[in-house]
Amino acid sequence: MGCPYLDYRSEADGTEFDAERAYCEAAGRFVQPMRADICTDRHDIDHAEHCEIYREHEGPE
Amino acid sequence: MSYDAYLEGEPVIITAALTGGIHGKEANPNLPETPEEIGRAAGAAADAGAAVVHLHARADNGERSFSTDRFEAIDEAVRRHADDVVIQHSTGGTGVPAEQRAQPLRTDPPPEMASLDMGPLNRYEYLTSENTRGLVDALQAEMRDRGIKPELEVFNDGHLNEVHGLLDRRDLAAPVYATLIFGGGTLTPPRPRNLLNAVDNLPDGALFNTLGFGRHQLPLTTMGILLGGHVRVGLEDNVYYRRGELADSNAQLVERTARIAEELGRPVATPSQARKILGL
Ligand code: SF4
Repeated sequence: MGCPYLDYRSEADGTEFDAERAYCEAAGRFVQPMRADICTDRHDIDHAEHCEIYREHEGPE
Repeated sequence: MSYDAYLEGEPVIITAALTGGIHGKEANPNLPETPEEIGRAAGAAADAGAAVVHLHARADNGERSFSTDRFEAIDEAVRRHADDVVIQHSTGGTGVPAEQRAQPLRTDPPPEMASLDMGPLNRYEYLTSENTRGLVDALQAEMRDRGIKPELEVFNDGHLNEVHGLLDRRDLAAPVYATLIFGGGTLTPPRPRNLLNAVDNLPDGALFNTLGFGRHQLPLTTMGILLGGHVRVGLEDNVYYRRGELADSNAQLVERTARIAEELGRPVATPSQARKILGL
């Protein structure tokens, strides 16, 4: 289902791209393409388990 | 391979790692991502002296793709711009099931070469690319069946043991070709003495390629040339030309390496020389 902080944008903070790219609202920046696989829960990956930014943002369990 | 290879002026193979699968245009807008961009980058890199292009596939938004179709689209674009360059597909893929890791080997035609990661490495805080021996052997078997030469990626010194283990378990065509990789995290610390040590611990007769991440690309590849090895440069491994200045292109990084190699007395290998050296 993907991370609730994930957004797809073609522009942010003065940076523009032709295609919409993965943007992290928690970190306030575009994410690396490899990290986007975490954000989208692709393959064997789960954002709640594998993203340190999400885990920090959600606070201690 | 040795210092003698340098003294004898043997040709150096430059591999251009054009795109990668970790960072993208958010790190350097000049990094090619679409098949056409990668094809054009391959053409320029080949003109600058690259004999081999190391390829990953991406979707149009830069995200990783492992699909055979996408690799075929990239290869077709590369062939339009660089009809003789040696194509090398990546089989790397953190967090990706084994079945998908084999997809880049199944293009028609197959690539002449493909990468084979020699063991585990950490990514971010909670991911590990496991690269179990079982997966390494399965990928190597498929490469052998399809006539693809493996490029053994040695991310740290433990992976040198894995290279010896792989040779004990499996038949690999000579010459064995290993890329020695230096950087942060799980990688071998990027220090000159560690390159010397890694070269000393390769199997007899193995050829090596040097890869340094970020600011270590220039010094360690230069040292690799002096040690008689081959080198890999490109925006996958390093997005800067010099401190604080993003690289304009992959070709810019290849041009510098070609210039250094020629100055040091090692001619830059053409694709046909690279095929002969690598036994393709
Ligand atoms: S980087 Fe982490 S927190 Fe941000 S969108 Fe991706 S998974 Fe969520």
